[in-house]
Amino acid sequence: MVSELSGAIALVGYGLAAIGPGVGIGLIAGNAVQAMARQPEAAGMVRTTMFLGIAFTEALALIGFVLFFLA
Amino acid sequence: MDELILAIKECDLSENAVCAPENVTEIFEYRDAIVKILGFPISRTVLLIFFAGFLAILLLWTGLRRKAARPSKYQLGIENLVGFVRDEIAIGIIGPLGIKYFPYLMSLFIFILIGNAFEVTPFINFPITSRMAIPMFLALLTWVIFVVVGFKRNGISYLTGIIWPPGVPVLLKPLVGFIEFVSTFVVRPFSLAVRLFANLVAGHTMLSLLLTTAFISFSAFFAGEISAVKGLFGFAWWALALAIFLFEVVVVMLQAYIFTLLSAVYIDTSVNAEH
Repeated sequence: MVSELSGAIALVGYGLAAIGPGVGIGLIAGNAVQAMARQPEAAGMVRTTMFLGIAFTEALALIGFVLFFLA
Repeated sequence: MDELILAIKECDLSENAVCAPENVTEIFEYRDAIVKILGFPISRTVLLIFFAGFLAILLLWTGLRRKAARPSKYQLGIENLVGFVRDEIAIGIIGPLGIKYFPYLMSLFIFILIGNAFEVTPFINFPITSRMAIPMFLALLTWVIFVVVGFKRNGISYLTGIIWPPGVPVLLKPLVGFIEFVSTFVVRPFSLAVRLFANLVAGHTMLSLLLTTAFISFSAFFAGEISAVKGLFGFAWWALALAIFLFEVVVVMLQAYIFTLLSAVYIDTSVNAEH
């Protein structure tokens, strides 16, 4: 049955690779908003850390993106 | 690029929803040399790279050339930008020692910012950072700096701190050390480069395909080749492209910031390596 599939299966792979980082970035941003709302004076520090966390989490999705081109 | 023009001519709106060339990577390639210098063909991409460098120097030079007592808005803007990179990124991340790396981080930031901004600049519309060579080169520069600084400041204990991490059970040390080694020296520059590259590739692909499709729908509609409903469909693509355009303006600035921020974080792990 699998052999009958045609088209870019790499697209499915990229979709799967995007699930985890999507959830992760949502958690990071949500918690950062909570932290900023509770302690507005720490907003600057929270924002920098949030971007760092997003950048590291995003890497997994980007590896999927590259594999999509390599496949 | 020729392939995109070819695809425009062959695009049949009754069959395709979005007009795209056979191989989408073609929209990132400019093969024709504009001029030849010493036998080296200079394509549009190379010209844009030099233009970005020139623009970066020009912006900073004209902004900071004379320190007026009553600065103009332009000088204030440039000073804010420079102050942001110095205080938030260089000193904010690396600490007091960070002022030494501030010139590098500043040039990185402004070059990437201009290179990215070409994506949303009318009549240029091509982000030079969407060619892997540029982000990879910049990431390798950061890699060389943090490795050299790490060995210079900490000696051989920089390497041993990575491959023989303290506070880990002895049985696990080879495994953790191996993972740490690969993630520090191999994955770091790669993910740094790919992050910038992938964001710009995605943005440029979306914008160029959607705007091309909208353009074809409009021209076909006014030539009376397609019905009004199909023309309305083209209008929807155009509206979506405009929304993405605004989003890309944010991405352009954010990715320049993140690249610089992560470079600072990597340099920080070498400057202030814990033993």
